[in-house]
Amino acid sequence: MASKSSGHKKGHLVSPGDRLGVIEEFTPDVGTYVKNGVIYSEIIGKSLFDLAQKRVSVHPKLRGIKVPKIGSTVIGQVSSVQTQNANVRIFNVDKKDLSGIFTAVLHVSDVQMRFVDSMFDVCKPGDILRARVISEKNRTYHLTTKDKDLGVIYAFCSNCGYMLEPRRYMMHCARCGRTEKRKTAFDYGKRPT
Amino acid sequence: MTDKPEKLIDKKGLRLDGRKPDELRPIKIEVGVISNADGSAYIEQGKNKVLAGIYGPREVHPKHLALPDRMVLKCRYHMAPFSVQERKSPAPSRREIELSKVIRESLEPAIFVEYYPRTMVDIFVEVLQADGGTRCASITAAALALADAGIPMRDIVVACAAGKAGDTIVLDLMDEEDKYGTADVPVALMPNLNAVTLLQMDGILSYDEFESAVNLAIEGCKKIYAMQKEAIRSKYASAKEEGEE
Repeated sequence: MASKSSGHKKGHLVSPGDRLGVIEEFTPDVGTYVKNGVIYSEIIGKSLFDLAQKRVSVHPKLRGIKVPKIGSTVIGQVSSVQTQNANVRIFNVDKKDLSGIFTAVLHVSDVQMRFVDSMFDVCKPGDILRARVISEKNRTYHLTTKDKDLGVIYAFCSNCGYMLEPRRYMMHCARCGRTEKRKTAFDYGKRPT
Repeated sequence: MTDKPEKLIDKKGLRLDGRKPDELRPIKIEVGVISNADGSAYIEQGKNKVLAGIYGPREVHPKHLALPDRMVLKCRYHMAPFSVQERKSPAPSRREIELSKVIRESLEPAIFVEYYPRTMVDIFVEVLQADGGTRCASITAAALALADAGIPMRDIVVACAAGKAGDTIVLDLMDEEDKYGTADVPVALMPNLNAVTLLQMDGILSYDEFESAVNLAIEGCKKIYAMQKEAIRSKYASAKEEGEE
């Protein structure tokens, strides 16, 4: 199967169950699994034989499936806010839109490095925010916004629903003149995702 | 309704639609036909037309159904009201509920269910036109849709039926052979691992007949598997890899 020359060897299109080799010739890497000493592909993708390191992997042809994991950056909509917590419905994980949603919790203590008094000064229901997953204990995803690229990226006036504009340390509604507080990301309102 | 034919096999040994006993119906498979689904596939096997869609992995609802160590599979097999001669009520019938379970259980051994704990994958199978052997066509399509969704699997499951029509063991039963034949043996297979994930039988077969029916069905599965791979190739061969080149 593998040629004798060194370096990488690009394989061809493989699908789940395609035999890639045996464990005596390669170390199985991502996109592969081993059964009875034989390495098989587990996804549709392109096989890659690293002949220098004796590794075989399969690179997905489509963008692989995404599920929130510790460390992944997610985008979600705030569904409800209490003084201590905000519930977020995640619809985008690591820049990939999901077909469903995952629910997660953002706690006041994980909003900023400094002390935050109330969750109502951080976000409001309907806001879109970017956050990072820090834990999945007790079957719930816990989020943090302790970074300058994390926080609310779209906020809406709780009085009239118009999109808020940042003005100094507060958010301002151009339609009804209301000012509100938010923990915004540095690129608030600038990026489409 | 079609009337009972006089003979299922004619003097030349050919079947009602002119096939030889060990011949499959013409099959057309397409992958990635539903843009809103995470993965999808469409199969035409003779007069069967089956559409399969995959959604997920996503959060389990209601939440108490989530399993801490594995993914939950949910399958819905449904026949469209216009899929059969006499209008079928769109409500899920007893048969459809059973087939949903059968399809789910024949796909489950292939999926690395432990990779995504506390999530759920929805498998929707819609039969647009039925002509016997829809459970096999559904499994074939649903397995391709799962692969298209990028869900890690041990192998692509493929299914095919064999049975007895008249006195002959025949492959890939169609509606009349299913109704008026003697037996029906659907088999689902993981061809690379050579593992059977579904084996059913209804009707009467002797031990030897059963064995030759199973072997014939496995041969049929392998032929369909080649078509599944061809369908994957025709969708993905031209597609560029994500983030490379």
